[in-house]
Amino acid sequence: MAKAYKPAITLYSFSAEYITGKLSLEDCLREARDMGFEAVELVASQMVPEYPYPSDAWIEHFKELLARYELEPLCYSAYIDMGIRSDRDLTEEEIFHSTLNDMLYARRLGFKFVRSQHAISPAIFKRMQPYCEQLGVKLSIEMHAPHHPDVPVWQEYLAIMEESNGQLGVVPDFGIFAERPHELLLLQAVEDFGCRREKVDLIVQHFSEGLPQSDLDRFELSTAEQNFAEEVYKNHGPAQLEWLDRLVPHSFHMHGKFWYLKDDQDDSGIPYKKLLQRLSELGYSGYIACEYEGHHFRDDIDVKDQLQKFVRLLNSI
Amino acid sequence: MAQFQSYNKILVCQEDGISNIVVNGQVVAYELKCRYPSYRGTYLSCIEALELYVDGARVEDERISLHLNGKIFPISQLKELFSEYWFILDKGTLRIWQPGGLAEGEHTVEIRMRHRIPYTGYFGEYLVLDSRDEKQLEVLRGVELDG
Repeated sequence: MAKAYKPAITLYSFSAEYITGKLSLEDCLREARDMGFEAVELVASQMVPEYPYPSDAWIEHFKELLARYELEPLCYSAYIDMGIRSDRDLTEEEIFHSTLNDMLYARRLGFKFVRSQHAISPAIFKRMQPYCEQLGVKLSIEMHAPHHPDVPVWQEYLAIMEESNGQLGVVPDFGIFAERPHELLLLQAVEDFGCRREKVDLIVQHFSEGLPQSDLDRFELSTAEQNFAEEVYKNHGPAQLEWLDRLVPHSFHMHGKFWYLKDDQDDSGIPYKKLLQRLSELGYSGYIACEYEGHHFRDDIDVKDQLQKFVRLLNSI
Repeated sequence: MAQFQSYNKILVCQEDGISNIVVNGQVVAYELKCRYPSYRGTYLSCIEALELYVDGARVEDERISLHLNGKIFPISQLKELFSEYWFILDKGTLRIWQPGGLAEGEHTVEIRMRHRIPYTGYFGEYLVLDSRDEKQLEVLRGVELDG
């Protein structure tokens, strides 16, 4: 079966290297190009100086860099920073204007999509549609764990997307399909939170065998180990492949989230092979932006090696 | 479980050291550099507390100002600054008014920051992090602000 989806990269994958100064924005773009990526996603509040109002000079600089490294600007990723004020949450009007602002700058920088977050609310999301048409920028909401298509607000969002003439969509984050905790989460539990490795393994094994969490009561778990068990049970479960059937028609691009790949065969937490197979069958032809997120756990892992393994996994279907 | 704590180590900037500030022929203050401890930038209003400890002793907020975006802010003002964005690569300068500055040599500098993650509050409850970083900083120079 012909593979239709294409790999892209979110520069967020380089967070650790960028923040510690090992890679500049230009270095990140060069690395992306050298690894064969053709399109990039940018987390605006991470890499745009003077965000949320990038200067004309920076806009020119960024466009020159994209041209130099022959990269397509795919998505300008925005947050709903509803809590920036100390006295109250942002109002609907303020969120509307900040989203419109991000859309306008995305357009000026050449991006096709703006990614927003579910906190935008159905009312504001719907209100953005005519501005998408005017500005030539589509707006999407990231579907991020613990959300999934059956969450009530997402039923509303999916209905709004359906009626949006293709202007409003979703960015599914593959973290929603996490079946088991990833390796770095286990290491963090042991190294940072003082869990005993044998107890961590016991909890994961218990969970993987489908045994109820209450069965763990008979083992003398420390508070840290109980917290770990809670997180494992709350945040993981069998991947629902049919979610893809409902998301693909509205997906502008997707987030190929991963934390740590031992090899390029599959991810230990997210069953990528099955999911990619399904995407191919569904004929999804958009981008999957590779999103390495291990940097929240460790900074001694070779990000380039991780990304290359992930691309080989994507290309293996 | 702790989230978003992996960038705490950038809070105190060691390589910039400490500068004693000279005005009118006298050392009136000292300065050091700090960064926002996250993977992305934020608004200064999200900083709920910023505490500085030098050689184990708390420095009173009243003697500290934060210099960023070409402006100077007292600590007590930060909570109101929801239009001042702190870019993640930018270093802020902490200026501490202290006659004589700091003595030559190394000093233990600790910063504790309590900060709100502004996109996490779906039901009015925001994730508020306590970040902390401590490093040995050397007095590297005197800086004349006269003229």
